[in-house]
Amino acid sequence: MDRHPNQVMRRRDVARPLAAPGPKLRPVAPAGTVECRGCGRRFGEARFEKHLRVCPDCGRHAVVPAMTRITQLADAGSLDVVRMEIPDRDPLRFDDGVPYPSRVAEARARTRLDETFAVARAAVGAVPVVLACMDFGFLGGSLGSAAGEQFARACDLAVAEKRGLVAVCTSGGARMQEGIASLAQMARCSAGVVGVAHAGVPYISVLADPCFGGVTASFAVQADAILAEPHARIGFAGGRVIEQATYDRLPEGFQTSEFLLAHGMVDAVVERAALRETVARLLVAFSGRR
Amino acid sequence: MTVTTQTAERERAAFAAVELARNPARPRALQVIAGAFTDWTEMRGDRLFGDDRAVVGGPAQLDERWVMVIGQEKGTDAISRALHNFGMPHPEGYRKARRLMGLAEKFGLPVVCLVDTPAAHAGVAAEERGQAWAIAESLVTMLELRVPVVSAVLSEGGSGGALALAVADRVLALENAVYTVAPPETCAAILYRDAGQRARAAAALRPGVDTAYEIGLVDELIPEPMPGAHAHPEVTIGALRGAIVRHLDELCALDVDALVRARIARYRAAGD
Repeated sequence: MDRHPNQVMRRRDVARPLAAPGPKLRPVAPAGTVECRGCGRRFGEARFEKHLRVCPDCGRHAVVPAMTRITQLADAGSLDVVRMEIPDRDPLRFDDGVPYPSRVAEARARTRLDETFAVARAAVGAVPVVLACMDFGFLGGSLGSAAGEQFARACDLAVAEKRGLVAVCTSGGARMQEGIASLAQMARCSAGVVGVAHAGVPYISVLADPCFGGVTASFAVQADAILAEPHARIGFAGGRVIEQATYDRLPEGFQTSEFLLAHGMVDAVVERAALRETVARLLVAFSGRR
Repeated sequence: MTVTTQTAERERAAFAAVELARNPARPRALQVIAGAFTDWTEMRGDRLFGDDRAVVGGPAQLDERWVMVIGQEKGTDAISRALHNFGMPHPEGYRKARRLMGLAEKFGLPVVCLVDTPAAHAGVAAEERGQAWAIAESLVTMLELRVPVVSAVLSEGGSGGALALAVADRVLALENAVYTVAPPETCAAILYRDAGQRARAAAALRPGVDTAYEIGLVDELIPEPMPGAHAHPEVTIGALRGAIVRHLDELCALDVDALVRARIARYRAAGD
């Protein structure tokens, strides 16, 4: 195989098929062990968490819950979690067998989050920031009214305290159960970002697997710098929807971070181990004149 | 009536409303431009990649006021529907719209957007050229635009593809139009994993513009003559024209800084 002398082929460089559903690491027997969905190897939970939930063997980046993500990015001892109690809304009184408020309550109990976002004041590389991290485990990271308000308040906080804004975005898109009110959240979050931009504080967005729909088509890509984790699936319409609607054959690696990098849509694909340092360096650079 | 028949009846009625909004004889953007505006010069191309015929636009006069009119065009027959891609824009369409908004701001022309799309185009090429990026940029551009903006939903306002042209100082909608987070078929595929349950999704999601009006995403519903705009397009276009002119008269009298501040504040609270 022809290879550039500096290029080291690793297993993680091999594009994975699109079809695989949510790349979660499921705890399997024996207890305290996790199995990589990429290569099937098992690791002790503690070792896996220390590796930032990246498979030490094949490099597959597993889903990170929002609170864990905040801990991974923040400087040690700098975290100040901002709790937000935002009234639940059920504009359509949606019920598909389970009433929508019950689904929200269940997600809240399971994730111990207020809503889709976990928000915190923190320092990243000694630069003060507001972290707003989405949790794919909270109804697929979907963007409802409360989540939109969380993100917008995170923007307001960044403006009020002159902190940089760092968002980690992972979402299936709009929250269908809220109908048109959920579409409106794209505009609400954009209004938050406009406030941040006018205040002149930097905004860095990190796209994690998976990130689709109204989240990608609003605040996730309105940042000053857009980073993406390796092999994350990112786009507007999902691959399955596109295949069904157009009968187009999907190109290899379609809608992966690497695909978006090649098409000029993201600034860099950054491994999780280097994420904190990369975010910090950009924040320092963007704060250069202050 | 049994509960099952009541549910079936409700779903049938909800989807009938969607089909009414999709009636091919409803006035399209180009018909509105021809019927309500004068001296239109179409300006094409995004200056980056191509020209997307799903979006049309250019300067025109409306009641002796020059404006920049931008519309999503669905087409009126088999050939024009294909040409305009059924009103489903690619990124080039949103980037052309943005370019025209930039010109409007430069020359102080109010912007009028005619929203008429089932959704932004879902396809490989659209993704490669950054569909999400184009929509996200349009949202920010419209929030910051330093001229009055009026948007009107003609038949379908579907997904972020519609919102990208519907962030405005005033949003109007024809009363039989629908404004949805996604087309009922897509909602059904996501919620029930079966696009065939579109009637059920339509009943659950209340896609009529009255729902958008209730949550304040739409400011005014334009009455349509019975049995709907498709039967009397000229009357409908006349009513729409009157409403747009009335709103522009109000907005053009306002201080532009206050206008932009109010627009951003409005969307900061959107959906409540």
